[in-house]
Amino acid sequence: MDEEPERAKRWEGGYERTWEVLKEDESGSLKATVDDILFQAKRKRYMFEGHGQVRLGMMRHLFVIIDSSRSMEDQDLKPNRLTSTLKLMEFFVEEYFDQNPISQIGIITTKNKRAEKLTDLAGNPKKHIAALKKAVDGTCVGEPSLYNSLNVAMQTLKHMPAHTSKEILVIFSSLTTCDPANIYELIKTLNALKIRVSVIGLSAEVRVCTILTRETGGSYNVILDESHFKELLMLHVKPPPASSSSECSLIRMGFPQHVIASISDQDAKPSFSMSHLDSTSEPGLTLGGYFCPQCRAKYTELPVECKVCGLTLVSAPHLARSFHHLFPLEAFQETPLEEYEGERFCEACQGELKDKSIFTCQACKKVFCVECDLFIHDTLHCCPGCMQTDRTS
Amino acid sequence: FRLNIEGLLVYFPYDYIYPEQYSYMLELKRTLDAKGHGVLEMPSGTGKTISLLSLIVAYQKAYPLEVTKLVYCSRTVPEIEKVVEELRKLMDYYAKQTGVKNDFLALALSSRKNLCIHPEILHANIVVYSYHYLLDPKIADLVSKELAKKSVVVFDEAHNIDNVCIDSMSVNITRRTLDRCQTNVETLQNTISRIKETDAAKLREEYRRLVEGLKEANVARETDIYLSNPVLPDEILQEAVPGSIRTAEHFVGFIKRFLEYLKARLRIHHVVQESAPQFLKDIYEKVCIDRKPLRFCAKRLRSLLRTLEIADIADFSAITLISHFATLVSTYSKGNLFVTNFGFFLYSCMDPSIAIKPVFGRFQSVIITSGTLSPLDIYPRILDFRPVTMASFTMTLARTCLCPLIVGRGNDQVAMTSKFETREDFAVIRNYGNLLLEMSAIVPDGIVAFFTSYIYMENIVASWYEQGILENIQRNKLIFIETQDAAETSMALEKYQEACENGRGAILLSVARGKVSEGIDFVHHFGRAVIMFGVPYVYTQSRILKARLEYLRDQFQIRENDFLTFDAMRHAAQCVGRAIRGKTDYGLMIFADKRYARADKRGKLPRWIQEHLTDGSLNLTIDETVQLSKHFLRQMAQPFRREDQLGLSLLTLEQLQSEDMLQKIAQIAQQA
Repeated sequence: MDEEPERAKRWEGGYERTWEVLKEDESGSLKATVDDILFQAKRKRYMFEGHGQVRLGMMRHLFVIIDSSRSMEDQDLKPNRLTSTLKLMEFFVEEYFDQNPISQIGIITTKNKRAEKLTDLAGNPKKHIAALKKAVDGTCVGEPSLYNSLNVAMQTLKHMPAHTSKEILVIFSSLTTCDPANIYELIKTLNALKIRVSVIGLSAEVRVCTILTRETGGSYNVILDESHFKELLMLHVKPPPASSSSECSLIRMGFPQHVIASISDQDAKPSFSMSHLDSTSEPGLTLGGYFCPQCRAKYTELPVECKVCGLTLVSAPHLARSFHHLFPLEAFQETPLEEYEGERFCEACQGELKDKSIFTCQACKKVFCVECDLFIHDTLHCCPGCMQTDRTS
Repeated sequence: FRLNIEGLLVYFPYDYIYPEQYSYMLELKRTLDAKGHGVLEMPSGTGKTISLLSLIVAYQKAYPLEVTKLVYCSRTVPEIEKVVEELRKLMDYYAKQTGVKNDFLALALSSRKNLCIHPEILHANIVVYSYHYLLDPKIADLVSKELAKKSVVVFDEAHNIDNVCIDSMSVNITRRTLDRCQTNVETLQNTISRIKETDAAKLREEYRRLVEGLKEANVARETDIYLSNPVLPDEILQEAVPGSIRTAEHFVGFIKRFLEYLKARLRIHHVVQESAPQFLKDIYEKVCIDRKPLRFCAKRLRSLLRTLEIADIADFSAITLISHFATLVSTYSKGNLFVTNFGFFLYSCMDPSIAIKPVFGRFQSVIITSGTLSPLDIYPRILDFRPVTMASFTMTLARTCLCPLIVGRGNDQVAMTSKFETREDFAVIRNYGNLLLEMSAIVPDGIVAFFTSYIYMENIVASWYEQGILENIQRNKLIFIETQDAAETSMALEKYQEACENGRGAILLSVARGKVSEGIDFVHHFGRAVIMFGVPYVYTQSRILKARLEYLRDQFQIRENDFLTFDAMRHAAQCVGRAIRGKTDYGLMIFADKRYARADKRGKLPRWIQEHLTDGSLNLTIDETVQLSKHFLRQMAQPFRREDQLGLSLLTLEQLQSEDMLQKIAQIAQQA
């Protein structure tokens, strides 16, 4: 199939039933049921998370493996799977560092039965995003190799300290994998090293991925469409629960304050930032910045690992943002609409309550609709009703 | 848990029950109450076996005088093992619930190698064995003749029961058989003369027994202890072995003469078909062999072998076969005989009802059940019995886990069909290739593709190779092919499963009516899609088939076309049914022939497939199929847990007892 010239024009593309997504199923069978199941799963997810004190692996080392095989040229995501995936990945990287300031990420691509490291494990989003932007122009050829790419990731991850959470996320578009050896052996090794492997499938459920994720304790999902893809990807932004056997340890961390020096200040001298040492493209001399409390090396942005003394530098707001992972908002109680005797409008969006069930905050007893319930738990992480009562009281 | 089915307390060894299982048991109970026969169709993977076992066992316990024994017949050894496994579970559950030590005796007879005839079979409450023990006259006589009348007989996976009956009444004789028979006769002769010198009394004793012994059999039969042997009708057994073959030497001489006659018949150069009476007339004219001694051939031989104390009966298989042939041909006038120039001698019985008649006649309830028995009404017709219940059950599903699609056209709008006139058409072959290629790119893990015959498969695969289609397919998946060689096929199957397991993905090309299509399940990832290339009609030019069709038309008023379509569709349903083996499983069923869209074909599919076949899935092009399949596979890949099934397709006891659930259950069974 790949001898075919690039299928750029829409009318040259494959036959698609785009109306299928909007179609209402009169028999109420397939789509409605699956959606219902999905919705239940979504709720269950945060219900589970809200379950008391769960230890989370806050310090994560994550390798993302991106399939760049022939099947990534498929146009069922617009404009094609590769472009769409890379775009979402950029967003993912940003979100990831936003929520996990003391974590690192690395990217691996696989095509033509080989695996290639796009970026090494590092804590700086800019470098990854630049690499992802460059990868859009790459070609997609041959078959992927799950074995080789997992192996590459494993070689780095196995040296990571035991208190960190070691994870691999595979974005797998192809339905086949060309492996040089028995992958089940590798799965055993990954399991022994406590590396969690999760997979997001772009086409269908592949057996080996099911086994891989089940054995290593990861999750396996297959996308339905682009928005579902994004949703699934965002699930991996949140830190996973730490395995009970992982070690605890204290980590030294620096909280440098941003020093703003004005030109009028006589003592201020322009200096180079340490992070610009190896990149020649950006302008070097600046006045202000973050100074490492241990060795006084200067950086222009956080979070970063100090190049001189190896101290992890973060800002206090970063840590605060990770806070809600540890103390998630309690799940709201679900009750059928008929049983509710109050004014039928949602506390958050002020819309009328029309769905078959409503959600009540256990603390402030305010009532919310399904959409707001999800929004509050997924994005806000605090109950607007409680906030209001706090202020008024 | 404990169920109450119309007043009968049934112990069910699982915590959950499928609604259709409940419905199935209900029908079964009614059949037993009426003491009649039943035809029940329920999809595989919905727990047919355990429903059957738990209901019948409960029935036995509740009415020990009405039903004394359960005879469970299945087809293959793995299936028998599965039944035994379920039975063990049920018995454990009984023991746990009632606290009483199990007083049930169950017996499983697996392969012929382990054939064991112990008097205990008489007292066993449950007997599990292969079809042949009941249907094959050669074995039935040994194993099953002492089963009591008040037994319930179950034929599981019975969609091919008519063929099994015909096979059991047919004999195949090649030139090699005759040659081996010749040596057998010589050995016999030598043994006889040796024994005559050393122990002549033994032979005399046998002679005496043959004269006297039959009287005893007569008495036994009158007292209704035996299941009548389908080969030897009662009236024959009541006669004594004719004098001309009573002594050992005479009998051997007789066999020799018969053998010479058969050999002479093989020396022809064209195919001859004749009926049994014609054959008998000819043999009488040429070598003066009468009909009567021929009838006793099998019995006489068995007696002789026993007298001579021959340990290894397997050595004498050739002569045993010939003697069976002699008995069959002289007993049933409905048979047909074929002689060909390849030294191929075939006696074929056209009527499956002969072999099964004693079973229906003798036992109070006979249940015929399978995943694919549609259309239900044809089985009673060809097997010549009157069922009291005929029902087809659907599968209740929390999600639509099967997706039947009928592909009728290629992207170039050329009709896809394996019709004889167009099957060699280049465009058709290419479209079939494209279909497989496109599917190989979107279906994960395993695909099984069925062709209508080995020759057709070879032609198509060769043509695909020339067009480079095979090479393209191999980028997506490995290709394995079923051949007529059993060892090769099992090797291919093993490698196929390995490739499905480790993520490389594989395609198995096989043939409808072959070994793969009948006995092997492709659960979960071993079969995510089944593609049926063409309609698997039986080879219509075969003389045996022609004779059979003629017989069906004359005797049962079944039109040729109806039977052929029925036969083709039951095989197609069997093939596609390989992919779905339970409720958590899912799979695509692709019928690649535009003829499937016609009402006469579609209507003959089992109901549980038909109900998912909407107007939107008929006569699709390849592109449309790909889109629908992609959508389906993504939907099915979403997480699916047991809780999602609960209350819909999986019930607890409380849910089962609710009023509207019982109403829903009533709709599951459809009476034919």
